[in-house]
Amino acid sequence: MKLDTVTLEVIRNALPAVANEMAADLQRTSYNMMIYEVRDYCTALLDTQGELISQNVGGVSHFVADLGVLVTDGLKRYGKEGFKQGDVVITNHQAVAGQHLNNVVIYTPYFYKGELLMFMMVRAHWIDVGGQSTGFGAGPTVADPWLEGLQLDQLKIYEGGKLNDTLYRVIKDNIRFPESSLGDMKSQMAACRLAARRMDELFDKYGKDTILAAIAQIFAETEQKCRNVVSELPDGTYEAEASIDDDGVDKGKEVPIRVKITIKGSDMTIDLSGCSPERKAAINSRTFAGARVAYKALTGPLQPVNEGSFRALKVIIPEGNIMMARFPAPMSGWSAIVPTVVDTIVAALAKAMPDRVPAGHHGLLGGAVVFFGLHPKTRRRFIVQSIEGGGWGGRPFEDGVSGTVSVCQGDVRNGSIEGIELKCPVVVESRGLRQDSCGAGKYRGGLGIDLRVRNLVEGKWNFEQTRRGKCPPWGAWGGTPGEPGGYLLKRPGEREFKDMAGAHIPVALDAEAIVRTGGGGGWGDPLERASAQVAEDVAEGLISAEAARKLYGVVLRGNMSPDESETQRLRDRLRSARKRTAQAPKMGANKQAPKTGAKKPAARRKGKRR
Amino acid sequence: MIFVAVDIGGTFTDLIGFDDATGSFTQAKSLTTPAELSRGIINCLRESGVAPAAIDELIHGSTIAINTLIERKGAKTGLVVTRGTRDVYIIGRGNRPESYNLFFHRHQPLVSRRLTLEVDERLLSSGEVYRPLKRASVTAACKALKAAGVEAVAVCFLHSYANPEHERTAGATIRKAMPGVYLSLSHDILREYREFERISTTVVNAYIGPKVGGYVKDLKSSLGGIGFKGDLSIMRSNGGVMTPEVATERPVAMMESGPVGGIIASARVGQKLGFGNVISFDMGGTTAKASLIRDGEPTLAPGYYVGGYASGHPVMLPMIDVVEVGAGGGSIAWLDDVGALKVGPQSAGADPGPICYRGGGTEPTITDANVVLGRLDPDNFLGGTMKLDAKGALRGVTGKIAKPLKLDPVAAAQAIVDISINRMSLAVREVSVAKGYDPRDFALVASGGAGPLHVCAIARELYIPKVIVPLFPSHFSALGMLLADERHDFTRTVYSDLASVDFAHLAGIHDEMVKEAKASLRHSRDANFQIQLDLRYMGQEFTLSVPVDLAQIKKADRKAIRSAFDALYEHRYAHHSPDEPVEMVNMRLGAIGKRPTLTFPSLSPSGSATPSGQRAAYFSSAAKPLTANVYRRDGLGAGAQISGPALIQEHGTTTVLFEHDTCRVAESGELIITVGGAR
Repeated sequence: MKLDTVTLEVIRNALPAVANEMAADLQRTSYNMMIYEVRDYCTALLDTQGELISQNVGGVSHFVADLGVLVTDGLKRYGKEGFKQGDVVITNHQAVAGQHLNNVVIYTPYFYKGELLMFMMVRAHWIDVGGQSTGFGAGPTVADPWLEGLQLDQLKIYEGGKLNDTLYRVIKDNIRFPESSLGDMKSQMAACRLAARRMDELFDKYGKDTILAAIAQIFAETEQKCRNVVSELPDGTYEAEASIDDDGVDKGKEVPIRVKITIKGSDMTIDLSGCSPERKAAINSRTFAGARVAYKALTGPLQPVNEGSFRALKVIIPEGNIMMARFPAPMSGWSAIVPTVVDTIVAALAKAMPDRVPAGHHGLLGGAVVFFGLHPKTRRRFIVQSIEGGGWGGRPFEDGVSGTVSVCQGDVRNGSIEGIELKCPVVVESRGLRQDSCGAGKYRGGLGIDLRVRNLVEGKWNFEQTRRGKCPPWGAWGGTPGEPGGYLLKRPGEREFKDMAGAHIPVALDAEAIVRTGGGGGWGDPLERASAQVAEDVAEGLISAEAARKLYGVVLRGNMSPDESETQRLRDRLRSARKRTAQAPKMGANKQAPKTGAKKPAARRKGKRR
Repeated sequence: MIFVAVDIGGTFTDLIGFDDATGSFTQAKSLTTPAELSRGIINCLRESGVAPAAIDELIHGSTIAINTLIERKGAKTGLVVTRGTRDVYIIGRGNRPESYNLFFHRHQPLVSRRLTLEVDERLLSSGEVYRPLKRASVTAACKALKAAGVEAVAVCFLHSYANPEHERTAGATIRKAMPGVYLSLSHDILREYREFERISTTVVNAYIGPKVGGYVKDLKSSLGGIGFKGDLSIMRSNGGVMTPEVATERPVAMMESGPVGGIIASARVGQKLGFGNVISFDMGGTTAKASLIRDGEPTLAPGYYVGGYASGHPVMLPMIDVVEVGAGGGSIAWLDDVGALKVGPQSAGADPGPICYRGGGTEPTITDANVVLGRLDPDNFLGGTMKLDAKGALRGVTGKIAKPLKLDPVAAAQAIVDISINRMSLAVREVSVAKGYDPRDFALVASGGAGPLHVCAIARELYIPKVIVPLFPSHFSALGMLLADERHDFTRTVYSDLASVDFAHLAGIHDEMVKEAKASLRHSRDANFQIQLDLRYMGQEFTLSVPVDLAQIKKADRKAIRSAFDALYEHRYAHHSPDEPVEMVNMRLGAIGKRPTLTFPSLSPSGSATPSGQRAAYFSSAAKPLTANVYRRDGLGAGAQISGPALIQEHGTTTVLFEHDTCRVAESGELIITVGGAR
């Protein structure tokens, strides 16, 4: 079918607009901060093959194009004939969905003139699905899905427009905040209805054949755009590795992340076979997110997402891998390692595209702030939740950004201090950048954050450690790593803050907790950083005068201006000291994640591939 | 009485004057003089011939506030905050709206970290003092800021919306220690929770304060110097005007005063013609803007981001809700790397401009496409003062678009226009359909140089049956300023269950806000006060502003307020939950001081319209041109009827009527178009 230019363009604009309108409505009507602030949801239209027609932009990135498996599974379960107008399916089962149980998917079949053509889908993070799931999810120590929470496997909560009252009551009685979550379910359903209305208008206007032909062409063009980017990169195999200190259950046993990327012509293969096998700890998942988020960021970060976005990408993850775990491997902390996986893939490509790869970022889905309890005066349950950003890596042309959420999170906002205190009995004593938490470099990393919270009533904290102590956010091309994050607690009467880990830790009133996020790695040799910039960083209090001297070789006068001749002398001295120890690992004891990060690119990339 | 409005835009300063005794309009245009804006105004006044001493009121809108911010030419500013919150302004909300972009940028703070100083004090959300204010820490901060030579200071303490006492005390200390600095206290600017947004709004105010405040004072005295004795009013983002004194204290309120004039004018024109529900559609050189007006009232958004959501500065003051798309006459048509045709957001602007402007432009624009389609008359642009290069336009469209797409040049031009129509329609949809309003219940009011050219096509796309092309469509913003009322908006965060909210307390807050409003209003005698409560279902974050009246508050009529909320929620989101508890977050007060209503003169009746000529142009189909009648707008009398296809030309724009569109000229001069084929 021949499509005219205008019709194609109109449909191209309309499809993402529908998904985004669904998202805007969901967000504004939801009952839990995981949706309205953390934007931990995705809204999408899929066809009956499970191919992604369009998805919202701006929310959590690791949901990219991950709903297709649920459509194929649902069709296997019910058959194409098994769906009726007015059906609403609810599902979160890990055998297929592969994420923590809080991520509840609601979807509805879409019929045009009686024919099943699409599914409208909304995945959203419920604040609780029973078990240990309160808040951001149950964390890595939960042994299995039954302990984690309620499992819902492709169930019709509405059948032909009629509510399944039994199922509804089972859900209601087995979750902790039913008004919130069932309110969210209502919003998810409303978003699906909205999408159906919009698609009706579009189908009425252009007809089925035109729309389906346009979708096919949009997929093909999107794929071509990605291929155009990849074909610019030199063919070859690129590898990098990183690690998580341990999984929280097998203490001290490192979780390796090894990536191998092959570029051949316009095809890219991301092979994650070298990553850890599935673990006893609940950091397993079934997801292509690590590979896809990285590929998207490199091939077309500002373009809408559809099935074509990943057709030129092959992802290899064998069954039994930590990211292709088999039910009932626990998955409640499913996304914890994903930002590090994305970063490692990006780092592997540093040689292929040196001008487009930053140093490592904090790599945390947290700093998650989770403190909850029962208010003694009002007898109401409360839960403090916020996600604090950390430092991003230095870039090939500028400094990294401070205090910003990870690569797996987009328009995810921290809780405002005043908003938190209006709802919950705590005092947020400070939210500040942590001096010297950034990696040094010609372009330094961004800074991490310390958030300090005092509780005015007793309650429980979740401290989910970041476990990047042995592999902190790495530097690139001679930059140094950023400082990792963590959690600290000072109980009443104690004088010092102590490192903390664990979930549901009871805390008496008037304790203080610090949620600490990591800084980003530096890019390039710190000795090449302009001394005026170093002096400015000291004047701004972002780095200490000591760091200026030790890491950057910059000597400051009393008025904070750089002493150029002293600086030159010091930098010369530091350079020759480096030569003397050239045999030693360049970055000291820190294990440098991306092998590519150790030395300068030999030559600029030659443009076209050979 | 004589009223004059002066609108300073990026390129031109527009003036419109109206004498309600004689019913006559005066117009003038002069080049904007960025270095000396008030001189530009004086020049424009001189050119208009209006005697300054005869002017009763001069209303002024200017881009100075937004430009000072965007060009970062504001004052050296210090920020004083609660201990522990020094970095809140830098960290903001920590978000990255461009989720896959590894090279995203955040907002660029206007105050350096070393000029952000913490003082010892802490309030709780209830307003209770948790730690008292230590004046010595304020004095120490003053000393440091003074030594650094700051010209402006912003103060923002946590929970000052609930209890402003600490900010007031600190403010007094700062005033005493640093006489002459420009001072903004957050509770004076915005009394609403969410500290980052309040800090940002307050900092923006302080940052632009000295320059904009100085400008307003300077303007007042220059006008006085040429004999002006009337009232000076300043246009603000909420669609109202304010006195120069208020503008000097709260310059952030005039940030977006540019586009709002046209929206106010759309509301008034619509109402006068019996259309309370209109959508204002303004298309200029680089962007198109749509805004919804219901029952004669523009819709207000509670805040916006200067410089865009992804990396802009939040300013949480009410502004007229406008959706903007990068589609204007100068928007460039281009092909992406897989050959798909795109239009905008890049614009050829005024320099070099579209190819047909002969300014050296080489990329085909929407204006060039309209020339190729014959809808714009190359010999009659800007009243014939500027000859357009039709051949150049055709060459550009052919070479850059038609050939690569293997299209006929006319079909390519049509495709460029159609794609931009579609994008603009999405903007109109966003202000209507996406908010629960059916555009078919609205009339579309077109303004801007390119608005009347495209409006009928947009109306057809959205099945909007009526289109209005007002008088002075290319001076519409200045016209709107003549019609704007005085308006001040106030907010107080009052966090409570609706079931247990203390209505006596609300009534007290209401009275307090009314008192504050009266102090700011010039015309306070017949002022009108509108109350809204920001409500939500318990557990939600986003609120809906529900209009209530004072009687409901005095009677503690929870039930009526509750059902008004449920109804509004149902309208906006198509579902609601009558059994769930509702909580209140803010109380808002809009104070409106009525300005004199102007009665514009009517046209003499003519009965029939005589074309000034005929021209071949392409309308609905690019396959073959139609011969259309061409009319001069100033030759049309009241009651004249025109059927499409037709082109109605005037100085700054051309109205395009398609086949089956019919147009009637109203007594007051507007073109009222019934769109053919609309349902």
